[in-house]
Amino acid sequence: MRTFFTIWRRELAGCFLSPVAYVTIVIYLAMEGWIFLQSAIHNEGRHETLEVMLFISMLFFVPILSTVICMRLFAEEKRLGTIETLMTAPVTEVAVVMGKFAGALTFLLMVLFPAVGYLFIVAALGPGIGALDSGSVAGGCIMLALISASSVAIGLFVSLLTKNQIIAAICIFCAVCAPFFFKHLAIMLPAGMDRVVATLAIEEQVLDYARGSLDIRPVVLHLSAATFMIFSAVAVLDSQRWK
Amino acid sequence: MIRVENLTKRFGLMRAVDNISFQVGRGEIVGFLGPNGAGKTTTMRILSCFIAPTAGAVTIDGFDVLRDSLEVRRRIGYLPENVPLYADMRVREYLEYRGRLKGLRSRRLRARVDEVISRCGLGDVRRSVIGVLSKGYRQRVGLADALVHDPEVLLLDEPTIGLDPNQIRHIRELIRGLAANHTILLSTHILPEAEMICGRVLIMHKGRILASDTADNLVKTIRGSMRVVLEVSGGAREDIHRALTSVDGVVGVSAESTGEWHRFACACDAGADPRTQIFRMIAGRGWLMRELRVERTNLEDVFVSMTAGEKVS
Repeated sequence: MRTFFTIWRRELAGCFLSPVAYVTIVIYLAMEGWIFLQSAIHNEGRHETLEVMLFISMLFFVPILSTVICMRLFAEEKRLGTIETLMTAPVTEVAVVMGKFAGALTFLLMVLFPAVGYLFIVAALGPGIGALDSGSVAGGCIMLALISASSVAIGLFVSLLTKNQIIAAICIFCAVCAPFFFKHLAIMLPAGMDRVVATLAIEEQVLDYARGSLDIRPVVLHLSAATFMIFSAVAVLDSQRWK
Repeated sequence: MIRVENLTKRFGLMRAVDNISFQVGRGEIVGFLGPNGAGKTTTMRILSCFIAPTAGAVTIDGFDVLRDSLEVRRRIGYLPENVPLYADMRVREYLEYRGRLKGLRSRRLRARVDEVISRCGLGDVRRSVIGVLSKGYRQRVGLADALVHDPEVLLLDEPTIGLDPNQIRHIRELIRGLAANHTILLSTHILPEAEMICGRVLIMHKGRILASDTADNLVKTIRGSMRVVLEVSGGAREDIHRALTSVDGVVGVSAESTGEWHRFACACDAGADPRTQIFRMIAGRGWLMRELRVERTNLEDVFVSMTAGEKVS
């Protein structure tokens, strides 16, 4: 357990030591702020809450941010050769994978969630907006955190398969973006299957939670996807000793 | 302390390590010698639990590298070839991170990090970012990392590669100083280094161990442990060659000519020193001689002889 915290701390510190982190944070917060503002102006007078507009716009940054953060997790260790010093220290594969996952997820959430502050700024400055629905805000945050967890777990797994960060980035981006197409894919599928695929559409999940409608199925989906990817990563890391 | 039995490692169809066995006793310094691609690094990686063997058994302090991998890793300090380090961390921060990974905490961690920093001569750069350090300092940081948890066994893969002569001397002294309390297996290309530091030498070639003995004994095993080199003129090359071959103690003569001077290298029987007889014979025939010197066979000759596929008697 101690080694898990050591690796977690190192991963988190490693993210903040890189200038890429600060560039990413600034660009993301600027773009997210602009998109949210435009969305609020465009939807003035319509029946859509600020919470929905914010969380949906934040959702579209999750694939980009998780790609930038996860592409280096194992790929860089392999490229630099530090995987050799890491795996010859007395640490278990589970501690390594969990430590890296926790470090990357913590950093992603630290980048992502400051944007929630925009809601409060707009609510404070905009007369007539009224009180924010704290349930919707909490729901949106929970769903974004779950989607982030499953995205980071997918990114971590893909990063283990290559030492080339560009290949890792492309593969992670494609894998994490795939759920965005499920809504459109569902339309083309025969009855029965369309409903199954539609439940995987992450925009709908965020919309539901940001409107205050809670459903346990997306929670189970993202937690099990993250768990599955983490255990797959542990198995792959272990198997790489046998190559 | 280290016991390797019938170890084999295959990568696809290629046998990187081919059924090797050896042991390293507690407190020994053993040198692993071999040309590139001999299988030294692969063996080191198996011993350090980085990769698994295809067949065979490896134990360190009685713990198997597959079944008790964590116990093995607690007992070893491993310096990989090329010394991979996190370039974005500072030296002390990196060593503290590595110490924590290896189970050190609080006061003991600080004490050990202080000790390895002073022992490896890193005091001046302890706050420097690793990425800006010279190759020599990076090597020392890698060594300090291997030592930080005070392991019983040190596996050092080419610890002096790419260093300048002063840095090499410093690292060698450091390794020699560690010998009292550690079992050390080090791989190297530099043969004088193995002769100087190691009590015993393993010569590896194409995945197999060709010899395992002290450097002195290995030198004795190859025929003609002494060579006499001389330059002669005043006679026909063939005549001189024939005359040299007939001298007692000379077992083989090779010759080359530069103008009127002929250079001969005489391989001698172990223990024989035919220089006086050679001098008398040359003087007796009225030939001129401008050089007569002894070339002792060293580990380099043993190494070249074995890895070039020549037969060792």
